[in-house]
Amino acid sequence: MIRFCVWLLERTLRSDLADHVIGDLIEQQERGALWMLGETISALWHLHARPRPHGDFAQSVLADLRVAARLLRRSPAFTFVSVVTLGLAIGATTAIFSVIEPVLLRPLPYPNAEQLALVYERNADGSRDNIGFATFHDLVAQSRTIEHAAALGEWQPTLSDKSEPERVRGDRVSWTYFRTLGVRPALGRDFTEDEDAPGKNQVVMLSYGLWQRRYGGDTSIVGKAISIDGNPMTVAGVMPATFDNALSPQAKIWRVLGYLNQSYACRTCHSLRMIARIRPGVSLETAQGELDGIKSQLMQEYPKEYAAAGTIVGRVQDEVTMATRPALWALGGAVLLVLLIAVSNVVSLQLARAIRRVQEFAVRGALGASRARMIRQLLTEGLLLATLGGIAGLIVVYATLPLLVARLPQNMPRLAAIHVDPGALGVVTAIVLLLAVVMGLAPARGRFIDLSSALRSGRRLSGTANHATRATLVVGEVALAMILLVSAGLLGRSLVRLMSMDAGFDTTHLLTLEINSTGARYGNDTSVYEFHDRVREAVGALPGVVSVAVANQLPLGGNVDMYGVADPDNLPAKLEQLPFADRYTVSTGYLNTMRIPVLAGRGLTTADENESAPKVALVSEALAKRVWPNESPLGKRMRAGGAEYPIRTVIGVTGNIRHSGLDAKTTMQWYAPERQFDADNQEVLIVRTAGDPGALAPAVRRAISAIDPTQPIVKIATMDDVVAASTSQRRLALVLFATFAGAALLLAIAGIYGVLAGTVSERTREIGVRSALGATPQRLIGQIVRQGGRLAAFGILLGLGGSIALTRYLQSLLFGVPPNDPVTLVGVCLLLAAVTLAASFVPAARAARVEPSTALRSE
Amino acid sequence: MLGELEQIVLLAVMRVGKDAYGVPIHDEIQRRAGRDLTLGTIYKTLSRLEEKGLVASHVGEPTAQRGGRRTRCYVVSAAGKRSLQTTFKALRHMASGLDVGLEPA
Repeated sequence: MIRFCVWLLERTLRSDLADHVIGDLIEQQERGALWMLGETISALWHLHARPRPHGDFAQSVLADLRVAARLLRRSPAFTFVSVVTLGLAIGATTAIFSVIEPVLLRPLPYPNAEQLALVYERNADGSRDNIGFATFHDLVAQSRTIEHAAALGEWQPTLSDKSEPERVRGDRVSWTYFRTLGVRPALGRDFTEDEDAPGKNQVVMLSYGLWQRRYGGDTSIVGKAISIDGNPMTVAGVMPATFDNALSPQAKIWRVLGYLNQSYACRTCHSLRMIARIRPGVSLETAQGELDGIKSQLMQEYPKEYAAAGTIVGRVQDEVTMATRPALWALGGAVLLVLLIAVSNVVSLQLARAIRRVQEFAVRGALGASRARMIRQLLTEGLLLATLGGIAGLIVVYATLPLLVARLPQNMPRLAAIHVDPGALGVVTAIVLLLAVVMGLAPARGRFIDLSSALRSGRRLSGTANHATRATLVVGEVALAMILLVSAGLLGRSLVRLMSMDAGFDTTHLLTLEINSTGARYGNDTSVYEFHDRVREAVGALPGVVSVAVANQLPLGGNVDMYGVADPDNLPAKLEQLPFADRYTVSTGYLNTMRIPVLAGRGLTTADENESAPKVALVSEALAKRVWPNESPLGKRMRAGGAEYPIRTVIGVTGNIRHSGLDAKTTMQWYAPERQFDADNQEVLIVRTAGDPGALAPAVRRAISAIDPTQPIVKIATMDDVVAASTSQRRLALVLFATFAGAALLLAIAGIYGVLAGTVSERTREIGVRSALGATPQRLIGQIVRQGGRLAAFGILLGLGGSIALTRYLQSLLFGVPPNDPVTLVGVCLLLAAVTLAASFVPAARAARVEPSTALRSE
Repeated sequence: MLGELEQIVLLAVMRVGKDAYGVPIHDEIQRRAGRDLTLGTIYKTLSRLEEKGLVASHVGEPTAQRGGRRTRCYVVSAAGKRSLQTTFKALRHMASGLDVGLEPA
C-alpha cells in the first residue's frame, strides 16, 4: 500500500511537496493502510498543482475529476436519482448473470466435461425416457464409443445410527459413477466392480457436507459400518468438498446399485438415468448413431419389450438445465431491457442538465477551451457517475444475490457455484465503461451549437436537437417498459390460470407429512401396517381432525411411481404399449380425506384392509377408458406391474387427479389397499382438519413421536403449500418479471415527466405570452398533455410491435395463455396510456399556473 | 482577516515551536482542538499562509525514519503574529457585550 501511495504521490505532486508528504506518511505508517490511502487521496485532492494549459495529462485528468465531483455534489437530486437508477439496474443485471453464467455457460466442474452425456431411450413421440437396467447393461457392453458409463436412480435412506434418525437424499449408482464423472473420493476409496452385485452392495460413499455435519468430519469412519435403514453399510469413502453433483444436486450419500440379475433390472422398467463418458475425439452425434444401431438389434432380439427405436444422447449440462434454461434466458433478456431503460433515463437526465449548462460551456469555449478538452470533461463526468452507479450496483448484487439463490429451485444444478464472481464483476465493469462513453457523449451532441449565440441569448436558449433526443429516449423507454409489462402480465395470467386448475381433489384444510418405519422393529410388512394403524388412530383422535389416511405418495409431491396396468384377459400386443399409471396404495379413508370422488362402484372399506381379503383396486376414469374403452371396468380383472404382482378385481372408478403438476400432462392412477401390496417404509400421512391445518402440526408430530420416537417425521406441510411449491419456479419468474416491469414503468413515467417538465420550464416565457394574449388554462394544459400523449402513443405502438415479436420466447413459461394474448396486450396498453397521461398532467398544470407578468419579467 | 483553519494551523505552528512540520502540527491540532485534519489539508493551508507571507519555511534534514525524505519546517513570521492579533481583536470587538464566553480575560 505504501509503495502504491508513494508511486501515486510522486507522479502527481510537485517533487519537493511530494518529498515532505511522503516523508510524513512513512513516519506515520503504523497507522495502517486505510489511513494511508485516505491521507494520499486527501493530499492528491488538496495539493496537486493546478493544470497548466498544456500540462501533464494525469494532472489535468485529476482536475477534470475534481470539477466533475464538485458538479455532482452541487446537484444532489440529479446525482442521487442517477446513481440509484444505475445502481439498481447494474445490480439486477449482475445478479441475474451471476446465476446464468455458472449454471448455463460455465462448463461443469469435471475433466473433459464436454464428453459427458446423458443417454435416454427415445419414445415413439421423440420424448426422452429413462432407461431400463438390462438395456443400459447391453448398451455399455456393446458400445465402442463409450469410455465409461453409469446408471443411477434415486435413493432416500434413513440414517439410523444415532439417537436422532434422519432421512437424507441420495442416489443408487453403478460402481463406475464417480470414475465416469472423473472425480475421486477425498478420503477412502472408490466403489469396486465386485461390489456392484446384489448382496455385496452394502457400501456407501458420503458427501463432504454430510460427513462434516453428521459425523463431525471423523476420518476413522472410512471402512467402518454405519446403520442405514437399520442395516449396517460400510463407508467406502468421502467425496471432496468441491464435488458438485450436477446430476442430482441434493444427493448427499451414494450406494452401489447392485441391480445385476434382479427382477427390476428389466427392459421395460424405465427407472434409471444413464450417464456416459464418450471417448475423446468422438462426437455425441456419432455416439448416438452407434447406440441407435445397438438398440435396433436389441429390439429384434426382444420385440415385445421395446415400443420405440432409438436413443437420445445429450450433453449433460444441456440436459440438467433443460427445465430452468428458458426462464433464465428470459430473465436475462428482461434485465437487459431494464438496464437499457435505466441508461436511457440517466442519459435523458444528463441532457436536461446539459441544457442548463449551455452557457457555462459557451464561456469555457470563449476562454479558449478546445472542443476535445470539453468532451474530455464531459467524459470524466460520465465516468464518475457510472463508477458511482457501478459501486451502488455492486452493493445491490451483494444484497440481493443470496436472496435470489435462496428462492431458486433447490434441485437446480450448480446452485453452490453461484456467487458474485470475477466474471460478473467484469460484466459490471464493461457496463460501467460503456455507460461512461454513452453518457459522456450524449450531451455533447446538443452542446456545440453556436457558442456566440448561446452567450448572447443567456438562459433563454432551448436545445431543440437536445429535446428530440430526449423525446426519442422516452419513446424507447415506454416501448421497453411495455414489453416488460406484457411479459409480467402473461406470466401473471398463466399463474392465475394454473392455480384455478382443478387438481381433482380438495387442497384446502389438509396437513401432509412423511412418516417412516425403518429398522429391525419393522422387519416384516405386518409391523409396518400396524404402525400405520396406530398412527391413524392416534392422530384421528386429536381434536380438530376430521379424518386421516395413509398413502404411499402425495399428488403434486414430485414422486414418480408408475406401473403398467393391463387386463390379463385382454393383453396388448407389446408390453411396452401398456398404459402406465401412478400407484396409490392407501388406507381406507384416503379418497374421503382427499375428497376424490368415486364415480362408479364403491370405495375401499375396512373389510379390504386385510392381507387375506380378495385383492381389489379402483382405477381413475382416464385409466378405465384406456384399458376398457367401451365397457364398464367394474368387476373386470386387472394386473398392475409384472407377472409377480397379483390379479385384482376392479371395484370402483375415481375422478382423475393431477399427479405430477397442475401444468403437467395428466396421468392415470390406480388405487389399492396398502395391506394388499408390499409395505413401504416411507409413507405420507394426510390429515383433513376442521380449522387451520398448519396449527395442528405440533400436535400431530407429538402424537406420532409418542408411538415411535426413533422414526423421523419430515416434510410437514399443508397441501396448499405443496401446491404452491409445485409452482414455485413460475412464482419466482413472475416476481422477478413483475419487479423489473414495475421498475421499468416507474422509469418511463419519470422519463415522460422529465421531458414535459423541461419543456414547460424552458418555455415559461412563451407560455406567459400566450396566456397574456388570452389562451385559456385548458388550452395550455391540452397542449402539454397532447405532447405527452404523443410520446406515450409512439412508445406504446413500438412496444406493441416489440411484445408481439418477443413474447414468443416466453412460450415455455406460459400456461393456458397464448404469447400474444389480446387481453394482456390491450390491458397493458390501457394501463400505460392512463399512467403516462397522469404523469403529463403535473407539468401541464404547472404551465397553466404560469403568471404572465412573472414569466415576462423573468427575462 | 484569517480563516478558521488558518488560525488553527498558525497557532499550532507556534505551539510546536522548533521542527514544526506536518506530523507534529497534525498531532498538536488533534490534541488541543480535537480535530483530525489530514496532512493534505494542513500542507495546503501552510502553503497558502506562506504565499501570504504569514509563515516562513526551511527544508530539514532527511532521516531514515522518514525513508530518507526531507521535512519542511515552518515558523510563524511577524506578519503572521500580527494578523492573528488583528483577527482576535476583531473577534473580541464583535463578541463584546454578547454572552458568547469570548470576553477579554
